[in-house]
Amino acid sequence: MKARCVLTALGLVLWGCAGGAQPDAQPPPGGWSSAALYNLGNAYVRAGKPGLAVLNYERARLLAPDDPDVEANLILLRRSLALPADSGSRMSRAVGVLSPTLAAWFGVVGWALIAAALLSGRSPTLPQWVRRTAGIAGAVLIGFTVASGAALWPKLHEAIVIAGAAPVRVSPAPLGDALFTLKEAEAVTIAGEHEGFVLVRTAAGRTGWVWHADLVPVVPRR
Amino acid sequence: MKTRHVDCGRLLATFTACLVAASALAAAPVFNETLSPSQISIGESAELRIKSSGADTQRPKLPVVPGLEFRVVEQLQGVELIHGATLATMTTVIRVTPQIAGTFVIPEISSTAQPLILRVNPASFGGSSIMRPGIAGETPTGDIRMMEDDSAFVRVLADRREVYVGETVPIAIELGVRAGAVSSLNGLPTLAGSDLTLNDLSRQPDRKETVVNGEPFLLLTWHTLIAPVKPGDFPLIVEIPITIQLSTKPRREALLEEQLGDPFMQRRFGKTVRKNIKAVSPALDLTVGALPLEGRPPEFSGAVGSFQITSDISSGTAAAGDPLTLKMHVTGSGNFDRVDSAMLVHVEHWKSYPPTSSFKSSDALGFKGEKTFEQPVIASAAGPQVLPALSFTYFDPDARRYETVRTSPLSVVISASAADAAPTASSATSGTSTGLRPDRSTPGVFANSLVPLYLRPSFLAIESLLTAVLAGAWFRQRAAGPAGRGALLRERGLPRSMRLALTRMEEAARTGDGVRFFALARRALQETLAVRWQVSADQITSAEVDVRLDRDGDGLEIRRLFARADEVAYAGEAIRSEELTRWTEFVRRQAVAGLS
Repeated sequence: MKARCVLTALGLVLWGCAGGAQPDAQPPPGGWSSAALYNLGNAYVRAGKPGLAVLNYERARLLAPDDPDVEANLILLRRSLALPADSGSRMSRAVGVLSPTLAAWFGVVGWALIAAALLSGRSPTLPQWVRRTAGIAGAVLIGFTVASGAALWPKLHEAIVIAGAAPVRVSPAPLGDALFTLKEAEAVTIAGEHEGFVLVRTAAGRTGWVWHADLVPVVPRR
Repeated sequence: MKTRHVDCGRLLATFTACLVAASALAAAPVFNETLSPSQISIGESAELRIKSSGADTQRPKLPVVPGLEFRVVEQLQGVELIHGATLATMTTVIRVTPQIAGTFVIPEISSTAQPLILRVNPASFGGSSIMRPGIAGETPTGDIRMMEDDSAFVRVLADRREVYVGETVPIAIELGVRAGAVSSLNGLPTLAGSDLTLNDLSRQPDRKETVVNGEPFLLLTWHTLIAPVKPGDFPLIVEIPITIQLSTKPRREALLEEQLGDPFMQRRFGKTVRKNIKAVSPALDLTVGALPLEGRPPEFSGAVGSFQITSDISSGTAAAGDPLTLKMHVTGSGNFDRVDSAMLVHVEHWKSYPPTSSFKSSDALGFKGEKTFEQPVIASAAGPQVLPALSFTYFDPDARRYETVRTSPLSVVISASAADAAPTASSATSGTSTGLRPDRSTPGVFANSLVPLYLRPSFLAIESLLTAVLAGAWFRQRAAGPAGRGALLRERGLPRSMRLALTRMEEAARTGDGVRFFALARRALQETLAVRWQVSADQITSAEVDVRLDRDGDGLEIRRLFARADEVAYAGEAIRSEELTRWTEFVRRQAVAGLS
């Protein structure tokens, strides 16, 4: 009976990891590939569309955060546009070397270790130090997954300006003078949406409303 | 006698003088004019009282002053006794209402009176001190809906009723206030509802005097823009906060006031209170349509209106490598903030840079004007070059379709230059930048989402479910109570050989190996009893057990297990799993009991 429960739980985890995820709102045919996104970014650079180039590099970096080519081209492009480099926090750089998918599996293994440590408390044959070690290892793995999620969370709410110059307004209406203007390829954080306008926050901390067609979220919205 | 004659003569002379004086008074009427107050504001009235006394107390002729309106309100007749003579008097009360601000001289009615001065200040609305007198005229009253007390009206004028999302539509908001009935304007007009947005209203409204239904009104007009934010049918309703003056007099006096006149009489009797209200305009129904998807060019930037474009270049000749400025002028009317263009993106033999734009409005609203795009371009090859035509796409709300306007190509003669051999800039947007890492030859692994696995909803749901199950199992284990935990701890205190024997028994029970199971069980009991009886385990035989143990309870069970072990060892019969489980628990219990 216990073995059956464990198998069911494991099956659920595997289903959630492999096939349970819903696809994005507008995935390209066949899905997303870091190599394809990287090539697309290069193509947009050559076509003189830096905004779309940065967008695709950022998407490629989501799938392959440790890809040195993506990182190099992104830095080169941002430098040529006089845009600030995306340095990120120390934690994001630390956990950025690990693929998010691998971090997810770390979490699964960590969860399994903690579950085994807790539920094996009835077994008289398993030494105490084994259970403790398993519990600590599981907690460390889950902590790594949580850190990876926390580091990636801002990137999931980021958007890239694709218009030549995107006016930022004080209200979500196409009226009046702009507060300031966003440069093409600039990254902003999405804080809200209203009737075709997007509330954004820049790296400098300034906020305002931008017409939705002037930028594209790094992760497509549903 | 002489003295009496003299006295009579004096009396006669005095009487005669009085008669002469009285007849003189009776012959020429005397006028007395007073004006109160002598300083008022637009929308208020002053009171002119003309008192005539004498034999001929006719109604005085009203003065004529441009910019002032005189209206007789009432006439009061009376009798006065002057020097013993009875004189009839008549007081005419005249309401003086200014049409414009300024200083007015009211001419004297007769030579005996003095001219009066009336100073009229601009209206005191909302702290505004700017008054631009307009030409007084009659305002059409067809679409005006007065407020209940006829003190004011608000209306919205728009050229078009069918508009599109993103389009900016000029409108005029009119607030008409009746003279003396509205004391202040307490804020700017606002829209009722959130389906439309209103542009900035910080500018002063236009002001002029007008006549509505025969009554003088001050008309304030704001010119502004509205922008619909979503498709649908919406009523355009404007609200303006104002303060009106209400009469608090009894009904009888109020009726008299209605007959005699209005604010002037109200102030005369001094019975008014102020009340803050919102003047609301009648609904102007707008139909907002979505921009059609069909036929929408990919370069459409959201511009809605009517536009024309022209282009020019800073110079018709240049050396290769020299920067030129290509300009595109977009003129017309519409939402200029959505007018955008990338201009030239990639042209052979030219390097182009992202354009900048500037807007110059030709009206106060920013609805009409010219937007100029300036793009630096650099020719990279000598010879006659052609900059291709520029295009701009917008949606024409009148034609209800997308329009694309184009300029003519521009010819530039480029001469050779040393700079031609050395690119002037290494822009990433030029399309010729180097330094990029090479493309990948294989597409790699595909994923169906960019969201990390551990943040996908289904994954999180399953993990949460399993965590809840785990937590439930753990709490249930803890809920087994102190006795259960105590037994567990005692079991952990068993010697390793005993715990190993119990584990092997469980394995034998799972595999159904009865012979091995009972051999292990008997051995475990032997070791347990050996500890209890302080003898060697090998000395614990069935005979020893029969001697030392009782014939009931656990003693009986131990005897049975020893006998069962012998039977199974020799007979090799199949044992049911329930029996093996029961014996496992029995042996475990005996082992734990042996500890104590």
